[in-house]
Amino acid sequence: MDAVTYPKGEVVEFLNKAVIPLRVPSDAKPLSDDFNLKWTPMLVVLDWNGKEHQRTVGFLPPEELIPSVLLGIAKTHFDLDQFGDAIKVLDGILSDYAGSSAAPEAVFLKGVCGYKNTHNPTPLKEAYEKLQATYPASEWTKHALPYRLLP
Amino acid sequence: MGNTIQWETDYATTLKKAQTDKKPILIDFFNPG
Repeated sequence: MDAVTYPKGEVVEFLNKAVIPLRVPSDAKPLSDDFNLKWTPMLVVLDWNGKEHQRTVGFLPPEELIPSVLLGIAKTHFDLDQFGDAIKVLDGILSDYAGSSAAPEAVFLKGVCGYKNTHNPTPLKEAYEKLQATYPASEWTKHALPYRLLP
Repeated sequence: MGNTIQWETDYATTLKKAQTDKKPILIDFFNPG
C-alpha cells in the first residue's frame, strides 16, 4: 500500500477529503485486539461514533481503494438509515468506478436503499436487472436473484 | 491538504475529529515490519 496505493495523488486527495484517516501498527494494543486484527493490511471504516461498518483485508490497488472506501461510507449511511445519502455515494461509485470490485455490491445496496427509502419494490428489481446485464458473474447478482420475481 | 495523506496516529484524537467534522474514520492497520 505504501509503495503503490498511498502515493497516488487521487488517493491522497480522496482520503484527506472523505474520511479522517488513522494509521495503526498491527502490534498496537489494545486497538488491534479491540478490532480482532488477524492479518494486514486491514482497512476498517467507522462512523463518527466509532462503530464499524466495513472492513477489508489485503492489498488494494489505487483503482480499487477509492471505490472500496466509498462503499464503506455508503454502508455507514445505510446502517444509520440515511438512505438518500447512501444512494448519493453509491451513484458516485457507479459513475466513476463502474469497473471496480465494489461496483456490483454498490448496485445491490442502491436497490435496497431505494426500497427502504420508498417501500416501493421497483428499485430492487432494477438492481437485479442491472446486475444481470452488467455483472452477470458477480455473487451480488446471485444475491439479487429473488428480486427478478417482483412485479 | 498537501501531497501526502494526513494520517492520524491516535484513536482518541481521531474520534474527536470525526465527531466534530461528522466524517467517517478509515483505520489502516499495517505491519510495521
